[in-house]
Amino acid sequence: MFCTHCGARVSEGANFCVGCGAKVAASPISPPAPPPLPQTVPPPPVPPPARVASNPVAPPPATTSSKCVWCGAVTSGADASCPRCGAALRVDRVVTESGWAELPGRKDMAKLHFGNSSCQIEGVYVPVADVNLAAGEGVYFTHHVLLWKDPQVNVTAMSLAGAWKRMFAGMPLIMTQAVGPGHIAFSKDDPGELITVPLQPGQTLDVREHLFLAATSNVEYDWFQTNIWFTTQKGNETETHYPLGGFMDRFSASRTPGLLMLHAAGNVFVRELGAGQTILVKPTALVFKDPGVQMHLHFERPGTVFSGWGSWGNRYIWLRLVGPGRVAVQSVFDRIEGEARNISNFSYATEQVW
Amino acid sequence: MSSLPQGESLERLQCQWCQSMNVTGATACRACGAPLDVRNLVSESGWREAPRIRDMTEIHFSSSTCQVEGEVVPVAEINLGQGDAIFFEHHVMLWKDERVPVSLLPMSGGIARALSGMPFLISVANGPGRIAFSRDATGELVLLPLHPGMELDVREHAFLLCSHQINYSFVRVKGLTNILFGGQGMYMDRFVTTNTPGMLILHGYGNVFERRLAAGESIMVEPGAFLYKDSTVSMDVEFQRLGSGLFGGATMSLAKMTGPGRVGIQSMYVHHKTE
Repeated sequence: MFCTHCGARVSEGANFCVGCGAKVAASPISPPAPPPLPQTVPPPPVPPPARVASNPVAPPPATTSSKCVWCGAVTSGADASCPRCGAALRVDRVVTESGWAELPGRKDMAKLHFGNSSCQIEGVYVPVADVNLAAGEGVYFTHHVLLWKDPQVNVTAMSLAGAWKRMFAGMPLIMTQAVGPGHIAFSKDDPGELITVPLQPGQTLDVREHLFLAATSNVEYDWFQTNIWFTTQKGNETETHYPLGGFMDRFSASRTPGLLMLHAAGNVFVRELGAGQTILVKPTALVFKDPGVQMHLHFERPGTVFSGWGSWGNRYIWLRLVGPGRVAVQSVFDRIEGEARNISNFSYATEQVW
Repeated sequence: MSSLPQGESLERLQCQWCQSMNVTGATACRACGAPLDVRNLVSESGWREAPRIRDMTEIHFSSSTCQVEGEVVPVAEINLGQGDAIFFEHHVMLWKDERVPVSLLPMSGGIARALSGMPFLISVANGPGRIAFSRDATGELVLLPLHPGMELDVREHAFLLCSHQINYSFVRVKGLTNILFGGQGMYMDRFVTTNTPGMLILHGYGNVFERRLAAGESIMVEPGAFLYKDSTVSMDVEFQRLGSGLFGGATMSLAKMTGPGRVGIQSMYVHHKTE
């Protein structure tokens, strides 16, 4: 049998792959044209409507269907990867005891489909999204993530009203678009994870700035002010800090399903907050949230030590997230600028004195 | 080899990365470390992933060996044989035996080329003894055994080491000097084999992919992603203006690589420290 993660040959009965260390799927999966698997798991009763047509012509004689743990697509038993989001199928979801779920594993070279186009995700350290655009279909992206493209794929700037307000690392944010047919590939500059988020009609996702990689052209792009800030005072100088960034990206699919691709640094963990349930996260670690999740600043400091607003050596600045909805964090994040300085004013915040 | 049983093909023993022949049953190529028992990972668009070398794989060149250790930021640990030598840039040296002598490769033009404000120098280590190399970011080691007659151009500062059988020089890339962000820089290292095979080890940031372009076939590559190419592949820079005056008119530059030959790219292209 083969490792579903890296393709290495692993001995029967092994729990972990010798090539990449990934946990080996319980059911043997041999990638090159697997024969119909023996029915090891009784097929769960699956509601048919959400099924994604991965291979509408001649579906393989599947003995079992499985539901993607990441995007919920129901797929035929012969697929090793979800055709909608690329996640490895028939693997147990890794969830911590505290309730954070790791992104599902993905087989290197996993392929997913959208419209008449497809995308292959290649590599593991800094994965590449290699998009094969069908004629007339398009993707948009910020211009600094382009890795390579076929010469005939034309890249043009998108007009974004008000985009001049947003700067990327001192450069204007330029949203660019490419239209098929042809190949175009994207990657970012951090070791981390590529997150594929299929958006169903009516679904919206809020993403922290600079994590966007690319989206299909039917995904609507908007942004909003985070309204999460604090000011620091040094002498007569006041400086305003936006620990989450001044703006947040909002992506939504209105009438047709779309695909959103993000890239986060390090590992990504997701959890679902119930209504009113809260969690404190580092603001710079937030990857995305459902629009229903509210957020505000939260300060934490020891009460035993005298520390007014002016001398906060032992203070922590958190982002407090309030459900209902999904939230995701990344394991590599920047320190918060201005955290150790004197805070003079701030947006709505809660406080905990220990 | 003529005693191979009927139906047994030599192809099975040939490494598909470096074309070296290996004994039956080998799990990693003796010359480049590529796993021999794993399928090649080739994208539908034609990029082949550089082989993911298993931790602690040992390879052989000349009378020396190299062990590849670690996976996130892999280390190339060289056990130099008597009479063998390697060339490298001093900033990639991780550790070495005390007795391994290190000297400078006499070169012309090195002063014109600076590394982080320091003069650019190529060091030489002579065997016998052990010396190890690594670079400053997550990535992959690319082991390229060079056969006689091969000529390879490599992005500056991307090479970890090469064996002394390889002639090292560098070429100035014209037309690329204007690129600011993640640009390819002004120089490419050029490695040319003489009459004996040699070993070249590169480190690419992120993941490394290789593609073989047919004669006249072209691909547009982000200049910062370019890692190596056969010298037969031409590289020209094309500029594309993005946005209107409102944005101040940013310009995107792409390298147009035209075959025939191999092109290697890295998926993470912001350089740390060295550029």
